[in-house]
Parts: sequence; structure tokens; C-alpha cells
Amino acid sequence: MNYDEAKAISRCQQGDQDALKEIFDQYQKKVYGIAYGVVRHREEALDIVQEVFIKLFRSIKNFKGKSHFYTYLYRMTMNTAIDHTRKMKRQPPPNREEDGEFQISANPEERPDRVLAHKELEEKVKWAMNQLSPDQKAALVFREVEGLSYQEIAEAMGCSIGTVMSRLHYGRKRVQELLRDYVLGER
Amino acid sequence: MRRKASFFVILILLSSPLFGAVAFAQVQIRVRVMEASNVGSGFDSSLRDLHDQLGSLFSFSSYRILKDETVSLSLNQSVSLPIPSERSLELTLINQLRVAAEVRVKISRAGRDVLTTLVRLAPGRSVSIGGPKHGESTVIVALSRL
Amino acid sequence: MKKECSSVSKLLEKYFDQEVTHAERSLVEGHLPDCPSCRDVLRSMERLRNFIRTPVEEAVEKEDLPWVWQKIERNIQLEEKRPWWEPVREWLDITPVLKKKVLIPVAVAAVVLILIMAPFLFEKTSSYPDPSVVEYVESETYNVMVYELETPQVTVIWLFEGPEQELSTS
Repeated sequence: MNYDEAKAISRCQQGDQDALKEIFDQYQKKVYGIAYGVVRHREEALDIVQEVFIKLFRSIKNFKGKSHFYTYLYRMTMNTAIDHTRKMKRQPPPNREEDGEFQISANPEERPDRVLAHKELEEKVKWAMNQLSPDQKAALVFREVEGLSYQEIAEAMGCSIGTVMSRLHYGRKRVQELLRDYVLGER
Repeated sequence: MRRKASFFVILILLSSPLFGAVAFAQVQIRVRVMEASNVGSGFDSSLRDLHDQLGSLFSFSSYRILKDETVSLSLNQSVSLPIPSERSLELTLINQLRVAAEVRVKISRAGRDVLTTLVRLAPGRSVSIGGPKHGESTVIVALSRL
Repeated sequence: MKKECSSVSKLLEKYFDQEVTHAERSLVEGHLPDCPSCRDVLRSMERLRNFIRTPVEEAVEKEDLPWVWQKIERNIQLEEKRPWWEPVREWLDITPVLKKKVLIPVAVAAVVLILIMAPFLFEKTSSYPDPSVVEYVESETYNVMVYELETPQVTVIWLFEGPEQELSTS
């Protein structure tokens, strides 16, 4: 079925839930990707996806078409995800010994040490991202995960391109410092 | 347009309790009537909060509660209570200030005014009126605002 | 070389993000083959991007999201049976009040309210600073004395019923 965004938005603004489903089908993976990129936790990311589309249904009447719909939706997703992270405390980088349970891949060819190393890196990346300011984290997720251009990021974040570049620069710098060993290829 | 009108209606309705709260203010006054004497000793437990106050002024050895009531006073309405030796205590709320309530207190006996006073009662500070004799004891009326 | 490196290094991020102009791209790509340091910077940025992006791509790949729609649908239906105060709260949204046409009547209403409430807001306070004091005492028959202490906070009005009466004071 062809997706006509303008019509779907208009119908959704009239309260048509089928239209919301169309929008959901179109954007579900993008929204989940942004949510996961911020919280790095499956269940939380899924909660955020739910919350975003419920919020969207409530607030889509406010969308006047002055910006692209997808930047409007991405901004909503990012704000919802950031709100979730605010409830989380900053965690120290987990050591292997402190790791809780982890799932060993069902693939028998996956070596346990590789799985562990992978898990450790994921946790470290999550921790490092959590040390950024919300704006820096948002810019990094939009750029590195979603591949948005500077212009698109500026529209989604409601700031100038110069500000986007600054946030990206300092966000990258900080994460690189925190993941120094990994980024330099020593691990 | 309808929302505009509704907003004004709600504004008026929301502010009406303010008028009500002020116009129909009720003040709760605790009235404790006690007899103080030098016969025997003891301090009634319900007078515990007044111990320091009374003790700082008087050296009666005994304070015994005769009546402990809470009265509700509305503006310009009087409430009368009988007190020992055929006296009557009349309380009238004259004015309701932000913190204090102005209460006119009249003690009368056999239809004659013995004492009239206007006091301001605020939470945390009591006013005691004493002196009328009751046998070997002296009547003290302690008023406090709840 | 050094001079060129310092100007190119400022462009590396933009180049990495494919936000450079044509001229800038030529400058960077002309410089990279001869500069291992700039190449290392780009490699680090690439590694960092992979660290950030790969787990997300993997998570999105293995997640089956259509079941999430069922939860969203259910929540919206539950929302439609919202608590009674929710529509009232939305309805009381005073954003329209800030529009010019409504502002004047609202201002008038506010002024009227203030005028009505002024006597209560600016009521005369007593000349006595104390909240609980004796305004006056009258007795045609007996002597009266008023004792007021600050510590403890006590006010006593004492009625002397006869000239021979002695007050038992401390």
C-alpha cells in the first residue's frame, strides 16, 4: 500500500487510528532506532516507542507543517527518550566481574570470549553516551545512528547548524576520550 | 467564543469561595473554665499547656477543670455559656483578621454586665480571664483559638 | 604540509559527515594520502561511529515491532476513557486567552476582581503589633488589671470583685 504522508497526517489529526497505524508502520524502526540509540536498553526503548506514538496521536493536531513531519517525530522521540534517561542514574563503567547475566548466543560458533567482549563494549558505549549532555547525545544519535544531515539535525533539535556542529564535535571528543582504548584499536 | 464565556464563568466560580471563606468565616474557640485555689494541690491534665503561663503569674496550688468546650463563632453571632456561681460568659466574633479573631467577651451575673473586653485571639496565644469568686476558689476562663 | 594539515584537520569532521563543499572535499582528499595523522583521525571517527551505530542496527534488526502496535492501540482506547478531569484540564488551556481579542476582557475581569478583593487584601491591621492583645476592658463595678507577658506568651485579665480581695501572685 502506498504511503501518502500528507493524507495520513490529516486523517490522524481527525482522530483516525488507522492513519496512526500507517504512520507507525512507516516510522516504527526509525523511532525504535533513536530510542535504542539513547537508552541502549531493549525494554526501555520499546516503552519509549509506545509512548511516542500515543503522544503523537494526542498532539498531532499541533503539527502545522512548518517543518518536515519526520523531524517533528524525531524530536518527539528524542525528548521522550531523554526524559527516560533523566530517571536513570549515571553508572560507573561496569567491569567484567560486575557484569550481571548476559545471553550467550545460540550460535555455537560464537566464542564465549567474543560474546563477553562484545557485551562489555556495549555496556561501555552505553555508559560513555550517558556521560554526555542531552543535547550532545541527541546530536550524536541523530548523526551516527540515523545518518541525518546537519540541516535535518538542526530542524529536529530546533537550533542552528553551527550549534549542531559544536555539539557533535564536543560529543565525539568526549566519547572518544572515555572509550580511548577501544577507539585507538588497543582493545 | 464559547470557550471565552466559559473561561469567565469558571474564573468567577473559582473566586467565589474566596468571598465565601471571608463572609462566612467560622472561628473555633476552646473555652476552658477552671477553679484555682490554695485548697489541696494538683494540676488537671487538660490544663497542661497552661501550666507555665498560669504558674508564672499565680501561685495557686490547685487548678481544677470545670468545663472544656469548643465553640464555633460566626461573625456577629453570640454564644453564651454558664460559668460558676450563676454567671454567664458570652462570646461574640466581632472581626476576622488575617491571623487573629477579634472576640468580645462579656461576663455577666444576674443580668448585669460584670466585665466586657475585646481581645484578639490568635493560634498559639491564649487569653485568660480570672478573678470571679466561686466559694474558696477563683474562677479562671482560658480562651484559645483553634 | 603542517600548515595544510592544520587547515585540513578542521575540515575532517565535516568531511567525515559528508557536509563539505566541493572545494573543501578536494582539499581534504588531496591531503589525506600524505598524512597518516589525519587518516588516523578519520579511522578513529569511523570506529566510534561503528561502536555507536552497530548495536542499534542489530537491535532494530532483531526486533519485531508490530506487536508494539497492539499495545499502542490498547492504550489509546484506554485513554479515550480518560479520567473526568483530563478534558477539563485541556479545556482550561488558557492559550487562547493570550490572544489579543480575549486579553482585554480578561484584563477587565481581573481589575474587577482586584477591586472587589481589595478590602480583604489590604485590610487595616491593628495598631498593636501583637496578634493577640486586649483591645479594651470595661467593668462598671470592679477593678480590672491586664497582665501581658511575652515569655511565656500569656495575657491575663484579672477582675477584682471586692476591695479587700488579694490576688495570689508569685
